[in-house]
Formats: sequence, structure tokens, C-alpha cells
Amino acid sequence: MSSQITLTSSDGVDISVDRTVAERSILIKNMLEDLGDSGEAIPIPNVNEAVLKKVIEWCEHHKNDPVTATDDDDNRRKTTDIDEWDQKFMQVDQEMLFEIILAANYLDIKALLDVGCKTVANMIKGKSPEEIRKTFNIQNDFTPEEEDQIRRENEWAEE
Amino acid sequence: MVMSLDHLPEEILHAILCYLHPRSAAVLEQTSRRFKSVTSVPLLWRHYCASHFKSWDRKHDILHKIIAPPSEVDWKALFVLRSQTDRAVTRLLDSILASQTGRIEKFRAVIDFGYDAKDTLVRHSEVESGEDYLARRYYARALLTCLHRSIAVPEWAKLRRGEQVSLERALGAFDLFIPESGYGDLDEIKHTLDDLVIQYQAADPESRTLTPRQQALSLSSWLRDHDLTGIQIGREYHALEHNFLGLALNSQGHNSLPLISAAIYCYVAREIGLNAHPCGFPFHVHVIVTPNLGFDMNGEALSDGEIGTPMYLDPFRGARETPLADLRDQLVFLGASETEQAAFLGPSQTSEIVQRCSRNIWTSIHSAPQGAPGHTSSVDVVSAKYASLWSSMLLTGNSRPMDLRHHLPLLMELFATDFPSDIFLVEQYIVPLFQGLFEHEHILESLHVMRAVDEIPKQVRRRTGENQNIRFMVGQVFRHRRYHYRAIITGWDRECGAGEQWMRRMGIDRLQAGRHQSFYHVLVEDGSVRYVAEENIDLILPALSDLPTGLTSIAGKHFKRWDEESRAFVSNMRDEYPDN
Repeated sequence: MSSQITLTSSDGVDISVDRTVAERSILIKNMLEDLGDSGEAIPIPNVNEAVLKKVIEWCEHHKNDPVTATDDDDNRRKTTDIDEWDQKFMQVDQEMLFEIILAANYLDIKALLDVGCKTVANMIKGKSPEEIRKTFNIQNDFTPEEEDQIRRENEWAEE
Repeated sequence: MVMSLDHLPEEILHAILCYLHPRSAAVLEQTSRRFKSVTSVPLLWRHYCASHFKSWDRKHDILHKIIAPPSEVDWKALFVLRSQTDRAVTRLLDSILASQTGRIEKFRAVIDFGYDAKDTLVRHSEVESGEDYLARRYYARALLTCLHRSIAVPEWAKLRRGEQVSLERALGAFDLFIPESGYGDLDEIKHTLDDLVIQYQAADPESRTLTPRQQALSLSSWLRDHDLTGIQIGREYHALEHNFLGLALNSQGHNSLPLISAAIYCYVAREIGLNAHPCGFPFHVHVIVTPNLGFDMNGEALSDGEIGTPMYLDPFRGARETPLADLRDQLVFLGASETEQAAFLGPSQTSEIVQRCSRNIWTSIHSAPQGAPGHTSSVDVVSAKYASLWSSMLLTGNSRPMDLRHHLPLLMELFATDFPSDIFLVEQYIVPLFQGLFEHEHILESLHVMRAVDEIPKQVRRRTGENQNIRFMVGQVFRHRRYHYRAIITGWDRECGAGEQWMRRMGIDRLQAGRHQSFYHVLVEDGSVRYVAEENIDLILPALSDLPTGLTSIAGKHFKRWDEESRAFVSNMRDEYPDN
């Protein structure tokens, strides 16, 4: 079993990476298991070079993390605590943040997807509707009447 | 195309929303149509309901809702309702803490929310710090236990009316009086028993092929082998905790008196198809197992009209069958008549077992060395006594008004001093018991007085004029010069304000300064309330950790918090003693 494999990004760049690092991605892990290791580059058609490198950087840092049992306990409140390294890692522009989230989702890297979701959740927390629109550049497509009605429906949530 | 939150697929947005407080989801909903639709998924609000609220009032039938398709339940409306209830309960509690006046109606308003109030009360009862954390914990806990009692009492009332109540519910009601049992509703006790049934069936899968007699014996030895019945050697038989079904099931060693052991046995036995009932044998509850109609205990068919002989067991002691002749001999020795013998050897009514449990608790309280060295009771004696009084009053037949009369003052005193939030329970369940008896008017009168006192603002007592020489302040801690107990000052009088009779009985005039010195209302470390002359007060300046935890928790009745600087409690009675 060779320790290095090659991934090809959507924009055609080959990136060499440790097999154990790449296997943080369940998608890649399953592909390697199904196809056997032919030594050929694995195409990652949905992720461009910049994002793929970022994702690999994350996998590299977390390569020794225990594989966490998927926490599907729906009855617990989830915390949005993020460890320090991950917080720094996620200090990127919004476009990159969303690209990382989509890549983590596509590549099936649950822990990275969680960090991404928590980061976005923290950006939404404590803001007013107008502030959220501004932060994420969301177009208000309600009529004034609709807006008024929805606001009244959600009065319970105001402090 | 620039990537934005808008472009994330629904499943990822859902994952993000699961990390948010529902309030933020409600805010996001207001930003655009896309997010309104994303945040309106029933599954999301089901998740919020499940992750934010643990206890649900029966009226929601929450278990049924959870297995129903998510779209059939308005989960968001349910969440909003619970969130509003949470705030309403918090506001009521804040208001109870803010003033000594009008508390009764506020207690009632909280209890009216039923089990929906529980999560909020649990949260407040666990606060560790804050401006009024002692008071908050005290009143949240008082309301929580009142809520539990309001579930327990109706079970006994049903029995009184002759309705069917299962043995485990009727006995489990005692556990709800005891905060230490950890039980919050009767279903939890049933689930624990159901687990036992499953364990037994898994351990002994062959038992179905046995005769009823063999089954009955096999179960008895399994329970005894797993220490689920009886009392371990060396333990005090009358220890209070041996009287509670739920406590016995949950505690290490599962120690229980014969009555509770029999109840555990009967539950499992019935689940595996045996007709088992506790039997009202004097001094020691046994179990009677009767064969199915047309068969005997060995599974042999009987001829028409013949009735199979029952068998007797003592699950407290172990697996042996108790021969009927032994039981009869004992009864003859006790001088029981033929009719009495028949009653003692037959199955007991649930209400009889409850009354017996109630008497056992009473005996335990008065005979076991509670709190003696080497014995740490895990049960609060006052709560246990209260449970015993309630159950015996509700189940005493109308034929015995003397018993009712005997218990009434004891119950009323406990209720007034320790459980005033139960006034509604007393009005609903105790008052009607005395219909037609001369006490009826008295009870109504004292409840009326309680309500009136509760509604009138406290008389303000300032430290001016005649009061300026009063030495000690509300909140200070002292040791009694003669009796050496520690206590907190909760109020004062310029001179002895008790009646002449009390002063004479207590020998007040034999004190150095007699009756014309300041007197203090105090809360003692054993939980009692006393009235102490100034000359007997020896102020101490303890650290909070020096005081017994029992004292600091009841201190919440009158005090907001501990002040480390002055080494005294901070008063929550400023409406009465503005200058302390």
C-alpha cells in the first residue's frame, strides 16, 4: 500500500497527499477501497485547487484525531464551541467558507462540515434580521405586509 | 457567481440551524422567502422541542407526537408555547422572590402549568450563583416538590374513591414525596420494573415451560440472588429508605422491607403470567399466588368446581415456599379468629397495602435511630412524615373519624411550616374529608387566615425610636449559649412578644434580663424555628463552608445569598425589615 496518492482538482491541478490524510474523507476512503490502489490520480470534480488545498490542510492537522462515532443524538443541545486552531483555520472570506462547507459535504468529512456549520451559526447568532441580510448579502423579497406579519408571528423570540 | 449563504443546499442549512438557538431561527426566518421556507421544516422544530425541553405535561401526549409523522404536529407552535411557559414561570418565580406578599396565588399559577413548568424549575433549582441564588434554589425546589406531590396525591384519592390504581403507582406515590428518590413521575418507576421483567426473562428463558409453582419459586430465588428483595445483613431493618419502592429499585443493594419486596415480586410475577398479590399477613407481608381457574399450582387440570390451593411465599427472605400450616400456626398463636385468619391469608387490597406502608414509614421515623452515628439516612424525615400523613388521611375509611382527627393537626402543622405551596392540595383533598365533622370549619378558617396573611403586606419594622437598641440583625448567624445549636436570625421583637402562657412555660422571667429584652425569631440548623432571648445569642462569623448544607439550603426561605464580607446572610425580607 503506497502512502502517497494523487488527487486532481476540478481545475485540473494534481495534488499529492498522504493516503491516511486523504482518508479523512469517507468518499475518498470508499473509492480507494472499491477501486483498489491503481496509483492513478483520483479526480475530485466538484472542488477547485484553492479549496482542495485548504481541505487537505485541515485533514493534515486532524489526521490523528480519533474517528468520532457519529453523534446523532437529536435530543441534545449542540454547542457551537470550536477549538482554537479550527477557529483560525476558518478565518477566511465568506466565499471560501461556503466552498469549504460544500467540499466537506461532498467529500463526506463530517468533522470539517460541523466546524463549518458552527462557524456560520456563530455569524448568525445574536443578530437582527437586517444585520443577517447585510452579513450574508441576502435580498429581502418579502412585501412589507408579509414582513410585518412574519415579524408579529415571531414576537415570542424577542428578548 | 459569488457564493453566499443562499446557495447552500437545504440539508446543510438544516445542520447549521441545529447549532442555533431557536430564537435565531425565528430571526433568520424574517430575512427572506428562502429562509422562511428553510426554517419552517417541522423536523427542525421537533429537534428544538426535544433538545430544549425534557419534561412534558401529560396533556401534550408527547410520546404519541414523537412517533407520529413530523408534519402532523405543529412543532413550532409547541415550541413557542413551551418557550412562553418557560418565561411565565421564570417571571412568577422572580415575583415570588421579590415580595413576601401574594405568594400563594403565584405558587398556584406555577403549579397550574403542570409538568411544563418542571424544566424551568429544575434549571432555577440548580443555580450556583447570582444575586438571589439561595432564595431561587429554595423556592424553585419547593415548587418542584409540590408539583411532584400534585401527581402523587390524586393516586391515593382515586384509591379512596374505590377506583383501580395499580400497586406500583400507589406505592410509587410515596417516592414522589421524597426529592432524594430522584423520581419525577410514576411512569419512571414502572419502566424500572419493566426492565426487571426483561432481565428476568432473558436470564431464565426456560421458565415458560415450568409449572406455576416452579415459576413462582424460580422468580423468588432470582430476585433474592440479585439482591432485589430483602435487606442486606447488618443493616438497620427500620431504616427509613427501606419503605420506598422507587428508592429500593434504584439504590445500591435494593434494600426493602417485606412489603416493598412483595410489591416488586408481584409486579414481575404478574408480568410473567402468575396471579400474585401481597397478602395481609400481620407483621410481615407475604405473597399469595393463586392458580389459574381450573388448574392447580402444579399445572394439573382440576375437575369442575374444584378450586386450586394457593401457595405462599416470602420474597423478603428468599426462595422457599411458606407452608400454609406455618402461617396458620402463627395466626393461632396470635389469637386470630377463623374470620380474621381468612382475611390475613387472603390477597390484600391496594389501599390496605398503602396504609400499611404509611404506618411502616411512621414506625421507621419513630423507631430507627435516624441520623444516629453510623446511619446516614438518604431520606428527608420531614418529607417522609408528610407522605405518611397524607396517605393515611386519604385512605382512612370514613368509619374511623378518630384517626382522621388525630392526624389532622400533625398534617396542618407540617403543611403550614414546610409546604405552604400545597394549600391547593389541602383545599382540594383534605377539606372534603371533614365534611360534616366539626373540624371542617376550623380547617377552612385556618386556610382562610393563611391566605389573608399572605395577601396583606408585611408590617414594616424599622430600627428607629424604641427599636434602636436591638443589637442583632436579620441574617446574622449565632450559637445558642445554652443549647449550642447554630441558627440564623430571621426577625426580632423589642421585647418578648410571645403569649403569657408560653413565657411561663419557658421560664422567661428566670432569664437574667427577663422578658424585657429583645427577642429573635431564628431558623435553626435542624430546620426548626425558635424564639430566642438576646442574652442567649452568641454571634459567630463562620465561613459559608462551615455551615451545614441543610442550613444554607433552608436559608433560602428568607435570604437571597451569603455575604462573605459581613459573614452573614443577605435578607430577602426587606419589605418587612428594611434596616435588617
